[in-house]
This record gives sequence, C-alpha cells and structure tokens, in this order.
Amino acid sequence: MTTLTPSGHAASTDNYLTFTRGIKSWMFTLDHKRIGVMYLISVLASFFVGGLFALIVRTKLLTPGEVTWIDADQYNQAFTLHGAIMVFLVIIPSIPGALGNFVLPIMLGAKDVAFPRLNLFSYYLWITGALLSVYALLAGGFDTGWTFYTPYSTSTETAGVIPVVMGVFVLGFSSIFTGLNFVVTIHKLRPPGMTWFRMPLLLWALYATALIQVLATPVLGITLLLLIIERAFGIGIFDPGMGGDPVLFQHFFWFYSHPAVYIMILPGMGIISEIIAVHSHRQIFGYRFIAFSSIAIAVFSFLVWGHHMFTSGQSPLMNVVFSFITFSVAIPSAIKVFNWLATLYKGAIALNTAMLYGLAFMFLFTIGGLTGLPLGTLNTDIHLHDTYFVVAHFHYVMMGSALIAMIGGIHHWWPKMFGVMFSEFWGRIGCTLVFVGFNVAFFTQFMLGSQGMPRRYYQYQPEFQTYHIVSTMGAYCMALGFFLTGAYLLHSLFFGKKAPANPWGGRSLEWQCTSPPPHDNFSTTPSVGNPYDFSDLRWNEAEQGYEVDPNAAPAKDTH
Amino acid sequence: MIHLLLQATSESQGQAALSTSVPVSPADFWLPEGASTVSPQVDFAFQFVMWISYFFFVLVIGLMVYFAIKYRQRGREVYARGPSHHTMLELGWTILPTILCVFMFWFGFRGFIDLVTPPQNAYQIDVTAQKWFWNFRYPTGATSADSHLYVPAGRPVKLVMRSEDVLHAVFIPAFRVKKDIVPGRYGTLWFQTDHVTEGWNESDPEKQKFHHLFCAEYCGKDHSKMYAKVFVLPQADFDLWLEKQGRWMDELKGDELWQVAGPKLYGRCASCHTLNGGASTGPTWQGLWTRVSGGAGSDGKLDNGKETYASLIGAGKAFENPETYVRNSILNPGQHIVVPFGNVMPTFKGQLNDKAIDAIIGMMKNLDQFDAKGKFIGSGVTAAAK
Ligand code: HEM
Ligand SMILES: [Cu+2]
Repeated sequence: MTTLTPSGHAASTDNYLTFTRGIKSWMFTLDHKRIGVMYLISVLASFFVGGLFALIVRTKLLTPGEVTWIDADQYNQAFTLHGAIMVFLVIIPSIPGALGNFVLPIMLGAKDVAFPRLNLFSYYLWITGALLSVYALLAGGFDTGWTFYTPYSTSTETAGVIPVVMGVFVLGFSSIFTGLNFVVTIHKLRPPGMTWFRMPLLLWALYATALIQVLATPVLGITLLLLIIERAFGIGIFDPGMGGDPVLFQHFFWFYSHPAVYIMILPGMGIISEIIAVHSHRQIFGYRFIAFSSIAIAVFSFLVWGHHMFTSGQSPLMNVVFSFITFSVAIPSAIKVFNWLATLYKGAIALNTAMLYGLAFMFLFTIGGLTGLPLGTLNTDIHLHDTYFVVAHFHYVMMGSALIAMIGGIHHWWPKMFGVMFSEFWGRIGCTLVFVGFNVAFFTQFMLGSQGMPRRYYQYQPEFQTYHIVSTMGAYCMALGFFLTGAYLLHSLFFGKKAPANPWGGRSLEWQCTSPPPHDNFSTTPSVGNPYDFSDLRWNEAEQGYEVDPNAAPAKDTH
Repeated sequence: MIHLLLQATSESQGQAALSTSVPVSPADFWLPEGASTVSPQVDFAFQFVMWISYFFFVLVIGLMVYFAIKYRQRGREVYARGPSHHTMLELGWTILPTILCVFMFWFGFRGFIDLVTPPQNAYQIDVTAQKWFWNFRYPTGATSADSHLYVPAGRPVKLVMRSEDVLHAVFIPAFRVKKDIVPGRYGTLWFQTDHVTEGWNESDPEKQKFHHLFCAEYCGKDHSKMYAKVFVLPQADFDLWLEKQGRWMDELKGDELWQVAGPKLYGRCASCHTLNGGASTGPTWQGLWTRVSGGAGSDGKLDNGKETYASLIGAGKAFENPETYVRNSILNPGQHIVVPFGNVMPTFKGQLNDKAIDAIIGMMKNLDQFDAKGKFIGSGVTAAAK
C-alpha cells in the first residue's frame, strides 16, 4: 500500500495492529493506539451491560404497580447499577480513554503520550475498578443510587456497597492518571510548529478536561474513603447519629460530580468541533472563542456544585450565589453552539453518518442545555428537583450529548483506527433510530417530571402511565439502533472496504498518516499547519479519499 | 444584605398572602394544577424560561436544518470559505443570553425568597418521616389518624420536619414546594392554599379530591410507597376534623373499634405488612394471630432461630399471652426479630396509644373480615373470596 502523506512516510504494510502479534503484545503494549482500542472495547462492553439494566428499569415502568418478575429491592439495585456503570465505567472514561488515547498524540504530531507506562497502568486501574464492581454485584449488590447519599449508603444492608465504592475510588485514579498524562503530553510533546492555536479544538477540550480530572477527582477519592471508613468502622463523619453531617457528604460529592459532568461533556464538545468542521469542509468559526470557552467552563465548573442541593437545607444565601454562578456556566456552552452553527453557514456539508451524529448532538445538547436553565432558576428548581425532569435533563446532556459525541467520534475515526469503511447506508439508519428513540424515551420524561413524578420510583401514580409507556417504547427503539450500529461496525471489520488515509477531508495530523497508522505514527516529523484550512485538499477518485494538492496556494493561518 | 431582603419580602408576603385569593391554575402541558399562593410565581418563572428556550431552540435548530440542506456538499470538489469570525456577532450572542440569564436568575431569586420565608403567623404541623411513612402531628398533640395531611385553607401552614432514619423529602407538586428532611436537623417548608379540595368529607374515597404528597429523596426499598394525600379543609371543618383526631376512637364502641379504627391505623403498617400473605418488608398479617396463639405456624423461628413463637408466648413464658407479645412488637420492635426479616421496623411508642393497639389486635384477630387492602367487608365472606 502506498501512502499519500505529505510527511513522506515510507510505504509499508505494517501498521499498529499488525506490528506485533499475540495476546501478550496487547496486554503489555505501551502503544497509545492499542491502549485506546482496549479502552474502546472495555467501555463498549460496559455500555452494553449498563444498557441492559436500563432496559430492565424501563420495562418495569410499563406498569405503575408491583410486578412479579422484579421487586422493589431488585428495581432499586437495577437503577443503581445502571447509573453507576454508565457514569463511572462508561461516560467518564469513554472519550479520553478510548478516542483521546488514540488520536491525541497523533493529532499533536507526537509518537506517544508523555508517560506510556502510566497510560497502561490507567487502563489496568480501570479493569480493577470494573472487577471490583462486578464483585460488588456478586457479593450482594448495592442499592444506594449512583450518588451514594449518606446516611442511606452507610446503613443499607446490601453487602456490595464497600466493594463498589472501592471500585469507584480506583476508577478515579485511572481518570486522574489519564488526565495527568494528557496535560503533560500537550505541554511537552508538541512538535515544532504546533503552537497552542494550531491545536485542533479536540485537544483544547481534552486539555480542559484533563485539568478537571486532575483537580477534582481527588476530592471524590477522599469522599469515598470517608464513606468506607464510616460504614466499616462506624466513625461518624456523615451520620448525625454519630456526630456527622449528611449534607457534608453532598457538598463533597457534588464538588467532584459537578465538575465531572464537564469531564463527560467537554471531550464530546471537542469531538463535535472536529466533526462539524471536517464534514463541513470549512474553517471553524470562532476558533479562539471555542478554545477559551472550554477553559472557562473548566474553571466555572468548580463553582456551581451547590445547584444540586437547593432543597437540601443549605443556607438560602448559598442557594442564591450558586444559582447566579450556574448561569455563568450556561453562557460558554451557548457560545459553542452558536459557533458550530456559524461553521455550518456556507459550508460544504457532507451528510454522512458521522456528521448526522454531529447534528444530532447539536439538537440534543441544545435541549439539554436549555433545560438546565429552569433547574438553575431557584424557585422552579424547587419544584423540579429530584423529579424525572432532572433525569431527562441529564440524559440529554450525558447520553444525548456526551455519548452521542462518542459514537459520532467512533464513526469519524473508525477508518483511521481500523483501516476499514463501514456501511454509510446502515450507519444513517442506525443514527436515525437512535436519535428518534432517544427523543421519544427522554422528552416524555420532561413532562413526567414537571408534572410531579419523582425519580427512583418503583411504583407510581396511574396518571403517569401513558408517558412511561411511550418512554419505554423509545428506549426499545434506541436499543435497536445500537444493536444495528454494533452489527454493521463489526461487519465492517471483516468485510469493510479498505479505508484511504483521509476519507473525509480532514486537515489535522491524524489524516496525514496511513489508515491504520503505523506503529510510531510518523516516521518523519509532520508539517503542521492550520488544522481547519481545507483549501489545499482535492479528491482522489482512485483512492476514494482526499489528498493534498501540491499546486494549491500555500495556506495562510487565519484565526 | 440578603437577610434584610429576606425579611422585607417575608413581611410583605405574609400580608399579601392573606388578603389575596389566587385561583387554582389548571394543569397544562408542563405543569400540574397549581393550588398554592406561590404557584403562580413559580409557573411564571417556568414559562418565562420555557419561552426563551423555545425561541433559542427554534432559532438554532431551524438554522441548523436550513444550513444542512442549503449548504450540503454537492460532489466532492467543493471547498467552502465561510467567515472564520465576526466580532460583533460573537459579542452579540454572548451579551444577549447573559442579559436573559440575569432575568431568569432574578425571577427565580425573588420567588425563592418567598418560598423560604414562612409568615410569622403560620400554622405549624410537625412531620416525622420514617422508612416508609409519614406522621403528621398537630398543635393539639393529635396526629392524623389515617396518616394523610389535612390542612386549613386560607392561612399559611408551616411543616416542621424531622427524620427518624435517612434522608427523605416532602414534595407537594400542586403547591410547588419541596424540602429535604435531613436526619439530625429540622427542616421547614411552608405553603398557603386558598382552595378547599372538593369532596374531602365524602365517605366514598372515589369522590374525594386531593393533592399528592411524595417522598422525593431516595430512601430505600419502599421509597415509592412513601405517599400521603393532602386534603385542604375550610377552617371550621378543619377544626372539627382536628378535634376528632384526638378522640376519634373514643366514640367507637365494642367491635366498632377494630372494624373502624383498625383499617385507618393499618395505613401506617401497610408499607411493610400485607394482609393477604404477600411478601413485603415485614411478616404478613395473614395467619399471624394463629401463629402467635399456638396454632399453625407457631414453630416459626425468631431471633436467628434461637426462639420460636411457641417458645416465647404462653403462660410462664416471656409473654403471658399473644396480646402482650403483639403489643411489645409494636412498641419495641427490635426486641424479637422474625426470621428472615431485618430489624427495620420503627417503634410506635408515643404514636399509638393503648386503644389504638387494641384496635390493631382486634383487626388481626378478625382478619378474615377485611379485604387485602384493609377495607372492612364484614363477616360471612370467606377468605377464599377475597
Ligand atoms: C447549560 C448548562 C447546564 C445547566 C445550567 C445545568 C444545570 C443543572 C442543575 C441546576 C442541576 C440540578 C438539578 C436538580 O438536581 O434539581 C443539574 C443536574 C444535572 N446536570 Fe446539568 N446543567 C447544565 C449542563 C449539564 C451538562 C453539560 C451536563 C453533563 C454532561 C449536566 C449533567 C447534569 C447531571 C448529571 C445532573 C444531575 C445528577 C443527579 O442528580 O443525579 N448538566 N444541571
Ligand atoms: Cu451540576
């Protein structure tokens, strides 16, 4: 196979997948690409399991009363497992661990992350955390809700609480080490010419994310340790019966978990910036605004945790302050949406699967962000807090946005990662099923919540049943879409057409190396330009991909 | 500063609340019926935010779809050159949302101050939350016999709330109020409603209108069963009702005691004890009286198998007779635990007096005269027909 890279990479048949063989070459690999692929597989497997629990929960909710096949205790365990798996095993590690690991060094023009061994260690920490969670499940499960609120979590009789809390503790370290690795990589491994403002926006987003991972996650760690200490040794920290304070736990928990929602969404926003620009074949609008809004979000995200506690009895003054600051996080998010919109203007928009996911993201994130507003508004949140309105809101932002971005990113980089093209036809159908199913499943939950249906309810008032049935149908439709997506992606691995180096016409560095990339990414230092200047690309019919036109006028850096 | 504001608004609110009567707002697409004095304010803020949201949603998604169609790639050769930035536009779409957000904040803030400052003259009801039921105690010392919340119309009501175990939260959607109940602290919540719930004094529950009161903070197994109805009564009727709560059992004579009072009191036990043999958090009452009085099932194990009903109950044993045993189980539930249940039942000391316990025991003895929900259906009905 010959390559068309301007970096002059020698023709070679070896890529990172075939570079060495055997199971050990994967288990002990230090190659960021292989680690990324291992993360991808693990995260998707967890997503499958978490999804099954979601289907159990939704199926129960078809009827308002008690059912014979699942009782209240089992139901509580099912939604707890669903939430904990999806948050800690799927969404938080998904984009940084899987896609970030794969593309960050290549986009930067580096051969690997700064600390490849630490990177592998992060992965094994993830595995350890996952195993502990499985153990917790076998040891008797846990029914605390993903938020582990005390004193329920320190007093419930389910035996899996301590193991799962240990699991989440370990997962936290996995996240911290990944963040640390990315921060150092971006600071230290940029090749000559790769200035901060020539970095693709995904890197800004991953950088902002990494800052939060490093700074916020330790707080989760200590909180969980204190929880374990209280539960195991009866030392009062959160339990008022022993002189503790349950609200303190909520402060600690959200001090991490609000920033954590940006650990989930910022990388997704980064992916969307890439997808929208590349598939519109046009300079991204407002590069600096997008880049700085990522940093602004990272900073503000530390200052709003109290908006999860408006009804907790914290002082009214505190509520007022937190409400005010909450709105300041909304602004940078809105700016990003407007910038993506302006990027579409006068673009040349390819409506392929990856881009459809990009547009779906814009749709869903707009709803998710806007519905954050009545939650940030004090008197309306009093009514909406702990109802399905909140459930719908965070599914729109965590699943509809962060996870959809992840899936869009998988499609965007699939040819790069595995060197094959998937079926666009089935891709579009899958995306449509997921999009429609998602909205049916979760938009109904806004009405449920605003009309007063509390969350985490095994039984409910019959008047809510219609919405619940519709919501469950949406969930089934979504599940179908995901199965289809899994099927055609797997199919493409074996039967897919060979992918060109640059199938979409991207200009950032990963599109300059072959698909799949060689073991060490670049054999010579790549030439760095504006990652969003597509003017010197041309279509190569024989390759079915884009290539650099040597006769094009030299690009000028314009942002 | 904030405290001054808090005080100023609370006084004006207290008076305004009494003099104006706001009609019940009917349920709409988003919000349920609104029946408290603060609900119009909350609904206004909600609608304000929603209308802004509709505007931005239509704008963003409309343009997105329009651009996606108008500028779709035709062929492969097209490279687009749109503007890469536009300072005025960018400033504009930063400043406009900021201004709108300040308004949202302001409406929310004003409404919130009213929500958290109960007027001085509010009528106080003490609420105890326990896994998984509510107990409402009134200033006279009486508690609501059927564990539903009865409040007078036309005056501010303040709930002072306490939890016996874990976090709970009172949520009354029609009043737009919610407040967590944190163990070790008192939580307060106030509301005023000027609207009597129709049919509250009908004997037929089908005809009674009421508002929902939910537990909104996850509290374990029967979180979703921690429910009460809210009835709003005219002041005079409320006073009558309240007077009855203190001595409602006094008027009941003979068998009426367990026939009438039994089902009402059972409301507090229903979240954990079934009447028809169904599994729940605690032992079913079906066959209970037979078990404790030496009949079938009296070999049932207690205290991890160390005891049985038979070994504890009977002349010369720990409990003279089954009545004493049941009474002790209600007042000191942790003393003897039936296998395989956990030690989760709260004590009812101070909540159920001797007469109430008599009523419950009477109900247990005559369980075949009640249906599975605890409704008295009289004798002559066989257990099989239930
Ligand atoms: C425009 C921006 C946003 C605003 C103003 C906003 C506001 C809020 C508020 C006030 C709450 C608390 C509601 C309550 O519990 O009563 C909340 C809950 C939540 N939000 Fe957002 N939010 C925004 C965006 C996001 C994003 C981007 C994410 C994640 C990717 C997110 C994830 C969550 C989660 C996970 C919860 C609730 C978790 C729980 O209680 O279990 N939000 N949001
Ligand atoms: Cu938050």
